[in-house]
Amino acid sequence: MQRWAFGLLLLAALAGCHRGEPSADSSPGANGNGKRLRIAVIPKGTTHVFWKSVHAGALQAAKELKASGVHVEIQWKGPLLENDREGQINVMQDFIAQGVDGIILAPLDSTALVTSVLDAKTAGIPTVIFDSGLADEDAIVSYVATDNYNGGALAAREIGKRLAGKGNVILLRYNVGSESTEQRERGFLETLHKEFPGLNILSDDQYSGTTPLEAQNKALELCNQFGDRVNGFFAVCEPNTVGVLGALEQEGLAGKVIFVGFDPGPQLVPALEAGKIHGLVLQDPLAMGYESVKTLVAHMQGKEVEKRIATGETMATPENMKQPEIQKLLVPEQAD
Amino acid sequence: MSGLSSESARPWSTRGRQWLRTVLGPFLALVLVVAVFTVADNMQADGGKFATLRNAQNILVQSATVAIAALGMTMIIISAGIDLSAGTTMALSATVLAWFLREGYPPPLAVAIGVGTGCLAGFINGSLISLLRVVPFIITLGTMTIYLGLAKMIGRSTMVRPDRAQIPDWMGELLLPRLKYEWMIFPPGVWLLLILALLVSAVLRYTVFGKHVFAIGSSEATARLCGINVPLTRIAIYTIAGFFVGMAGLYQFARLTIGDPTSGTGKELPIIAAVVIGGGSLSGGRGSILGTLTGALIMQVISSGCTALKQPNPIQEIIIGAIIVAAVTVDQFRRGSG
Repeated sequence: MQRWAFGLLLLAALAGCHRGEPSADSSPGANGNGKRLRIAVIPKGTTHVFWKSVHAGALQAAKELKASGVHVEIQWKGPLLENDREGQINVMQDFIAQGVDGIILAPLDSTALVTSVLDAKTAGIPTVIFDSGLADEDAIVSYVATDNYNGGALAAREIGKRLAGKGNVILLRYNVGSESTEQRERGFLETLHKEFPGLNILSDDQYSGTTPLEAQNKALELCNQFGDRVNGFFAVCEPNTVGVLGALEQEGLAGKVIFVGFDPGPQLVPALEAGKIHGLVLQDPLAMGYESVKTLVAHMQGKEVEKRIATGETMATPENMKQPEIQKLLVPEQAD
Repeated sequence: MSGLSSESARPWSTRGRQWLRTVLGPFLALVLVVAVFTVADNMQADGGKFATLRNAQNILVQSATVAIAALGMTMIIISAGIDLSAGTTMALSATVLAWFLREGYPPPLAVAIGVGTGCLAGFINGSLISLLRVVPFIITLGTMTIYLGLAKMIGRSTMVRPDRAQIPDWMGELLLPRLKYEWMIFPPGVWLLLILALLVSAVLRYTVFGKHVFAIGSSEATARLCGINVPLTRIAIYTIAGFFVGMAGLYQFARLTIGDPTSGTGKELPIIAAVVIGGGSLSGGRGSILGTLTGALIMQVISSGCTALKQPNPIQEIIIGAIIVAAVTVDQFRRGSG
């Protein structure tokens, strides 16, 4: 009896299949002036607020394009697990098979995603890369991202300025093999060496790990070792900054040590206001989403586009954080 | 010997019917899932891309890694065991393989050592279970993190990245949906998976060893009384399963082109889910290779279908979860009535 019901359901489904096909082209979405462009946006993960702001930026660009007569549909999908390279490859392949018109990707890995991007190119689908680089620059239309090297340099200048060029500084790195944070670290150290020869680096070889808790433990170790001597601290990304903040608070050093972090977060903005953090390097995820969509569509329309688009990086300090343009970056808009 | 398991004692007609029931159930579910997504996709304005050869190639390629590891897991689960270390063993194999490639060893050797690592990991699992007489769940829970740690040690806590030039073409093309030769229809890795699946299926069905696997899973005490060397058989099962996990490591590396020590974390769950959706019983004695392959495909079809239908990730996760619960519930009904 049950099996009969099952079979009937199946038949109904198959019958529906035949009816569906011819109507596919005559549906309302496909008409209008010009073709609707389906653009897939693939972030590194879907839960972090940073990506939600990228999404908001992409949607904003789509809205503006629609007003100018170009109908763009954003298809937002990331890997199920954060850091799942294979999952991201699967999402890429799914979109290629769907025959989307263009792809915007934040690659979880600079080399592992190359094959998929080349695959898209072979299928005639252009790809714009954002946030983190791809090893094969020829395979992509454009690379839209923060200039991370400059972000690190900004941090070095803020600490150098506040310490008046003298004192002891610690750099807490993020994770081995993470391209964007390695550039921040390089920008920080090189600027420090060049512009502030009076600053002494106590430690620059420790890695925080990927979670705030790991970062806090690592920062506590550093505080135990150098707590009486340290004057400046740079943490290279958000979880790292949260961890270091926790450690400084625990050791009673918060506010006394000049501390610059990277990226805003719900714990970090109040700490900036309270003067426990002296600077946060801000990226512009909204602009990343926005510029990526605009660039990709311009490329599809046959226009020349820049190979590298920098979305800007800004230093937020307790002094300037109330300014509207800084507020917009500290608490960026998010897609729901 | 053949009188050991209740399965083989039954006349052929009954066995045949039971086979139809256990295998046909998951298979019908697969057909249904494909049909539902095809219909829904065709009703979309810009749909019609779901039921295409390219998408079928995609789905097979994407499920191949889980499916090949699940071949071994099927044997383990039939013998009333479990291997929670399958995911991290896979990543360990891939990392070892990547390391040997990067250091300039010939690719066939690197593959042999990578897959061999999987066998060794399985052998250790089986030996520990047999020698320490601790349940497989606990032993493999432990080795899961041990193998993760080993992989991180080899990779020095980061990716092992061989040069593009160090990766032979055949490895890159193993699971590439864009085919070199059109006549192959599916990439070589998918064909290899099917051949291995047939092989395991035959071993389980027609060999004495296969009957022992079922016997241990149905009742270990009875199996022992009948003179089966349970510890040795168990070590063999886990070692063979390790081989397939090692192969999964090769598959994963072929797709990623890097050895990522952490890429296996959590991957044991889809592998186990494939077996369970395919009608394998965690209390042992039942499971089939065809069912397992079907289970792996069902999960990937849902995932791919949700992308086609523009469904967000949470929906996809909930659907897959619901299917697992439904599959096991239906399975219990079948057992109750059978």
